[in-house]
Amino acid sequence: MRLDYSGKKNGMKYHIITLGCQMNSSDSERVQTVIESLGFSATDNENDADLIGIIACSVRQKAIDKVYSRVYKWNKWKNKRNLLTFVSGCILPADKEKFLKLFDFVFHTNELNLFPEMLKNYGIVTPLHVQETKARPHVDIDLFWLIKPNYQNKFEAYIPIQNGCDKFCTYCAVPYTRGREVSRSSDDILKELERLVNLNYKSITLLGQNVNSYGLDKKGSEISFAQLLAQIGEFGFKSGKEFWVYFTSPHPRDMGEDVIQTIAKYKHLGKQIHLPVQSGDDKVLIRMNRQHGMSEYRKIVDSIRKHLPDATLFTDIIVGFTGETEEQFENTRKAMHEFRYNMAYIAMYSPRPGAASSRWDDDIPLDIKKERFHALSEDLRLETSAYNKTMIGKIYRLLVRDTDRKMGYLSGQTEGKITVRFKSDDLALIGQFVNVKITSAADFSVQGDLIQVLETKVVENV
Amino acid sequence: MIKPSVEKNVRISNLIDIRKLTNSAFVLRFEKHDLSFTAGQHIALGIPDIIDTREYSIYSAENDEAMEVLIKEVEEGFMSPKFGKLVVGQKVKVMKPVGYFTINKDYLQSKRFVFIASGTGIAPFHSIIKSYPDINYSILHGIRTSEEAYERNEYTAGKYIACTSRDKNGDFHGRVTDYLQQNSIDTQAIYYLCGNYEMIDEAYGILEKAGVKPENLKAEVYF
Ligand SMILES: Cc1cc2nc3c(=O)[nH]c(=O)nc-3n(C[C@H](O)[C@H](O)[C@H](O)COP(=O)(O)OP(=O)(O)OC[C@H]3O[C@@H](n4cnc5c(N)ncnc54)[C@H](O)[C@@H]3O)c2cc1C
Ligand code: SF4
Repeated sequence: MRLDYSGKKNGMKYHIITLGCQMNSSDSERVQTVIESLGFSATDNENDADLIGIIACSVRQKAIDKVYSRVYKWNKWKNKRNLLTFVSGCILPADKEKFLKLFDFVFHTNELNLFPEMLKNYGIVTPLHVQETKARPHVDIDLFWLIKPNYQNKFEAYIPIQNGCDKFCTYCAVPYTRGREVSRSSDDILKELERLVNLNYKSITLLGQNVNSYGLDKKGSEISFAQLLAQIGEFGFKSGKEFWVYFTSPHPRDMGEDVIQTIAKYKHLGKQIHLPVQSGDDKVLIRMNRQHGMSEYRKIVDSIRKHLPDATLFTDIIVGFTGETEEQFENTRKAMHEFRYNMAYIAMYSPRPGAASSRWDDDIPLDIKKERFHALSEDLRLETSAYNKTMIGKIYRLLVRDTDRKMGYLSGQTEGKITVRFKSDDLALIGQFVNVKITSAADFSVQGDLIQVLETKVVENV
Repeated sequence: MIKPSVEKNVRISNLIDIRKLTNSAFVLRFEKHDLSFTAGQHIALGIPDIIDTREYSIYSAENDEAMEVLIKEVEEGFMSPKFGKLVVGQKVKVMKPVGYFTINKDYLQSKRFVFIASGTGIAPFHSIIKSYPDINYSILHGIRTSEEAYERNEYTAGKYIACTSRDKNGDFHGRVTDYLQQNSIDTQAIYYLCGNYEMIDEAYGILEKAGVKPENLKAEVYF
């Protein structure tokens, strides 16, 4: 394959597969920017692609199996046609060793700036307008963050603010795939936020594996997470625009009172808190190496209820973790009712390659895990249903996100990320704020009547 | 003098000393550069040109001019046997100290600390005791044989109890959990548990049942 440097689209196509979590999706947006700046255009069809890449997730066995099955297929195609392959994302060292033999390019996301150079050295392409192309003496996640992402949505966006994790939960491999916590410069974050707000983005989520440990790795030279939120709040106030800023995923250990008070102070900081509990039992939390117990968790929730009485509370829970007894699971059920979650992402435990617990006996049978999953889902249903009923008769601001499954309806989310549908077939409302009066409530969704469109401006993306 | 690596969180250090403690356990001592830490934290250690790193609790004191880790070679392990083959003068990759298994200094004067370790899980406690010499502590060390009572002379006499499961040359014959079951438990002390998950799980259960509050129980699970 030979690519011609022309300063325009080079006629070559790329296909990218993104596996795993939101962090990978956000990274993928930046990878796409770099590839497109090299003259490639995106294609949904891998058969048409000259360059195929995977943003991988070593954290989930299924995702990694998918990488292997795909690359074997692509390598066969190489006998018949020109094709280059790359893999990036969350990769365990053991997988990286194997990928080096299977893919043409293997790089960590923080090495993305070197990708054009790698391609060039492969003798096929000269980069067009990527700034950081000169062979640099070092690779740096800060350079990766400087790349302007190819946002996949016109009104909701993610801003990575932190990468890596220092917590070492025993069920998780992220500390081994992403390395130590590194915070992005607050100036860059604020610039990216400003750009998005100017483009009329309405929902912006600050992203990180341990988002609220922001700044801890640069103590003294960078602001804290609470200060970052405050600066965002101040900017929102001055901008005169309407938008909501969220963050995910935080760790209870770093959820200081200052963060909660700051959210309370600024209207642009979304009143929805995601606070992973994982288990409601102290002993299970110890086994998970979560580095906090239920009493610490309870204090945080108390503070949220005190300072943010209208906030919704979301969580993550693992059921059937190694050694989880019936009694320990019951403690998780109690936690569900005690904290009255509005949403819980419940996962049945499955060992993750590379994580400490992957070497332990996965001793809870699948049928028990399923039973616990269903029991806890039912507990959640009771809580969400009770909450949703309290919404009836009240007026909520919604960000309209899409058409609803029910014909003739649109669906949106409140500031607390409760999904609400309302009758309308005006697709121009998607991406806009509207006011809706709630008329009825089901377990996981709510219905209302449109009473006011708050903005009619056409959203233009650049 | 080796300059710190260009990667922000990584330092390349010269190995200054290796102390063989048993056939399979050793202490690596290497340059600390600018890496400061709080006793109880861990680093990721690697060997240049090998992608893999492994986490190790820091064994040395906060103000020691070099850094030390205590490693036990795991049979068929990928990295620990490689660390065991290093010689003085070779280089290691050291990644920024992190972790939460540290002491709340407000309690140093007022509380008694009970450190419970299995095998190399004693490493963070060694660092804590060397960093805060006035700390009121006792250590229960679960090991198979008395030769694994790594550098026991470093601890104040009477404060270190070797619980040996496979010989009778320790201070107590049996596992740490047997010791806990056969002796009275100070429910007012702060307990730190470190090492393999089975020991931590069992010890936690015994202590909780005896009335130690969950907020006074901390743990670091190695494997
Ligand atoms: C926060 C943290 C701190 C740690 N501190 C230390 C320390 O101070 N000293 C230390 O020796 N290890 C420590 N470890 C364990 C260490 O990181 C490695 O897992 C260990 O050295 C084995 O690596 P390996 O590549 O040789 O084995 P791998 O090829 O990774 O195989 C791992 C196997 O080794 C077993 N294993 C892991 N650690 C031990 C051990 N210490 N004794 C017996 N079996 C083990 C596991 O169960 C597993 O079967 C720590 C781990 C964590 C998460
Ligand atoms: S689950 Fe634990 S180890 Fe994994 S990213 Fe979150 S805090 Fe880090």
